[in-house]
Amino acid sequence: MQFYYFHLMPWPFLPRDFDRAYDSAWVTLPNRLYDPKRGHRLYNEYLDELEHAERIGFDGLCVNEHHQNAYGTMPSPNLMAAALVRRTSRAKLAVLGNAIGLREHPLRVAEEIAMLDVMSGGRIISGFVRGIGCEHLSLGVNPTYSRERFYEAHDLILRAWTEPGPFTFEGKHYRVRYANIWPRPLQQPHPPVWLPSQGSPETIAFGARHRYPFVSVFTPYANTKRLLNEYKEEAERLGYRAAPEQLGFAVATYVAPTDAQARREAKPHLLWLFRRGLKIPPHFLAPPGYLSEDTLRRFLLAGVKPPSELSFEELEREGYVLVGSPRTVRDRLVDIRKDLGIGVFVGGGRIGDMPHDKALRSAEMLAREVMPHFRRRPGVRTAARDRTTRSRR
Amino acid sequence: MAHRSDFLTVRGIRTHLLKGGRGRPLLVLHPEFGANMWAPYHDALAAHFQVVAPDHLGFGESERPDWLDGIDDLVFHYVDLLDLLDIDRVSIVGTSLGGWIAAAFAVAHPERVDRLVLAAPAGIKVDGIPRYDLFANPLETTLQRLFHDPARAAQILPAEYGAEVIVRGYHEYTTLARLTWNPYFYDPKLQQRLPRLRQPTLLVWGEQDAVLPPPHADAFAALLPRATLHMLPACGHLVPFERSEAFTTLAIDFLTA
Repeated sequence: MQFYYFHLMPWPFLPRDFDRAYDSAWVTLPNRLYDPKRGHRLYNEYLDELEHAERIGFDGLCVNEHHQNAYGTMPSPNLMAAALVRRTSRAKLAVLGNAIGLREHPLRVAEEIAMLDVMSGGRIISGFVRGIGCEHLSLGVNPTYSRERFYEAHDLILRAWTEPGPFTFEGKHYRVRYANIWPRPLQQPHPPVWLPSQGSPETIAFGARHRYPFVSVFTPYANTKRLLNEYKEEAERLGYRAAPEQLGFAVATYVAPTDAQARREAKPHLLWLFRRGLKIPPHFLAPPGYLSEDTLRRFLLAGVKPPSELSFEELEREGYVLVGSPRTVRDRLVDIRKDLGIGVFVGGGRIGDMPHDKALRSAEMLAREVMPHFRRRPGVRTAARDRTTRSRR
Repeated sequence: MAHRSDFLTVRGIRTHLLKGGRGRPLLVLHPEFGANMWAPYHDALAAHFQVVAPDHLGFGESERPDWLDGIDDLVFHYVDLLDLLDIDRVSIVGTSLGGWIAAAFAVAHPERVDRLVLAAPAGIKVDGIPRYDLFANPLETTLQRLFHDPARAAQILPAEYGAEVIVRGYHEYTTLARLTWNPYFYDPKLQQRLPRLRQPTLLVWGEQDAVLPPPHADAFAALLPRATLHMLPACGHLVPFERSEAFTTLAIDFLTA
C-alpha cells in the first residue's frame, strides 16, 4: 500500500466569535480575516511539513485546489507543487486536484501539469475535480454546467498531453484552433490521472471507464465502501478487475503513543476541520444544478446528518477520522485494506488548527510505526501476522 | 373563473399551459417562482381576456430541453407556441423573469406584440445598485425578500414538503441558474436594444422591491420610448402576487384603453 501525505493548508486563525458571527467559512467569510504576515509564516510551515513527509518516507505529497475560504488556502495547487518540486526528489507530487471545470481555460492546466512533470522528472500525479459548489459562487462559474465543463476540460487536457499538435478542439465550452502545448509531459502517455471525489455515480462510471484511480475523500466509511464497490462493479462490467492501485481512501488521520492521548490531542483540531473549516450552508454547498437530481434525492432520502453536526465520537464511529495509537491505526488499516481492497492511503497531514509540532509528531509516528507494516520488500517479512500482506506477496 | 390545463408539443418539447377566459389573447409569463399556478391575478385578467399562461421550459410541468441556455431560447419557443395556438398578435404580461422574456420577445418580434405590461422585469443592471442574490441565500430568506408583507409568501409555497417537492424545486432553480447565473439576471444586449421598443408599455414596480430596488424601475423606464411607470406602495418584488387588485386594475385599464 502506498502512503500519501495530504495537506489542505487551512487558515486556523479564525476570530473567537467565528461560530456565532459567521455562517460560513466559504464564499462570504471576509478576507480581512486573512493576515498575509501570519500567512507567510504559515505557508512556509506547511511546505516544511510536506517536505518533511518525504524525508520520513511517505510515497507522495498531496496538494489541492480550493478558493476563497478558511478550509484550504491553496487556490493554485500547481504553485504549491512547483514550490515542492525543487525541494523534494523522490516523492510523487499529487495535485488532488485541479478544478478543471472552474478554470477559464483547461489548456492552462494541461500546460502547468506538463511543466511540473518535466521539472520534477515525472513525479506528478494529476487529480481532476469539478470544484465544490461554493466555488461556483466564488468564481462566477455557472454550476449547471459543472459536470459538462469537467468532462470537456478533461477531454481537451488528455488530447493536449497525448495528441501531436497542433490540433483543433471545438467543444461547447472550450474552443481552440491551435492546441499545441509546450512542454509536453515527461510521463508517457501522460501523468497518472486520479479522481478524488465524494462520489456521484457519474464520476465513478467515468473513472472506471478510464481506469483512473478513485480516491474517496472525507466521507463516512460506509459511503467509501459503497463508492469503491460501485467502482469495482463498474470495472467488472467493463471486463477488468480494479487493481488496488486504482482504489484510494483519504481520511483525516492522527497518531499518538496511546489511543487516549491521540483522541485528546486530535479532537479539537478535527472538530475545527468539520465544524469550522467545513461550515458551509446548504445553499453554498449545493447551488442549483451542481448536484444531479438523483444525487440530491438520494441524499434527502438517506437523511444523513452533515459532519459539521456530529460529535467527535460520531466522527470516529462513522469513519470520518482515523485516530489512535500506532497499533490501533495499523490494525484498523489492515482491516480497511482487506475490506476495501485499497492500494492508496491518503492521510496524515496537519488538520485544522493543529500546531506544527503536533502535526510533525503524528506524521512521524505514522511513518515509523505504521507504514513499514504495509511495505512489500522482497525477502523481508515486515509483519508475519498480517495474512493479507503475506498472501499478496 | 374557470381555467384548464393543457399540454402542447412545441417543436418536440412538451409544454404545459394554463388557459382561462375569453376575448383577445393575453400571454401571461410567470416570474422565477409560481409556475403552474393560477393565481387571483390570472382570474382578474381572465375576466377580460383569453389568458394563456405557459410554464417556461424547465419550470412547472414543461420539459427542459438540453439546448435551453438563454432567454432567447424562450423567446423562440414562445414564437412557436403562438404559431401553434394560431395567435398572430398578442399583449404580454410578464413579471420579473417573465417580464424579461416579454421585453426580449417584443424587441425581437415587434410585429407580434400589441402592448406590454411589465411587473418589476429583470433583464437590466443598474451600476452601483446592489441586487439581491437569490442563489447565495437560503430559500426562507429569499421568500421574505420577495414580498413587502412576508405573510404573502405563503401563496407561492408548496402545500407540503417532501423529498420530491425539494427535488422539483431544485430542478426549477437549476433552470433559473442556467438562464440567469452569469450575467446575473441581466443581458447587456437587452439594455442596448430596449430603446427599439415602440409598443406602449406599462411598467409596474413595488416601492419596497428589495430584489430589484426602485432605481431599476427608473432605469427601465428611461430605456423605453413609450413607457408609463407606476410605483405601487406597500409592495415588494412579486407585484401581481402581493398587490393583485391594484396591479390588475392598472393592467386592465392600460390593456383596454
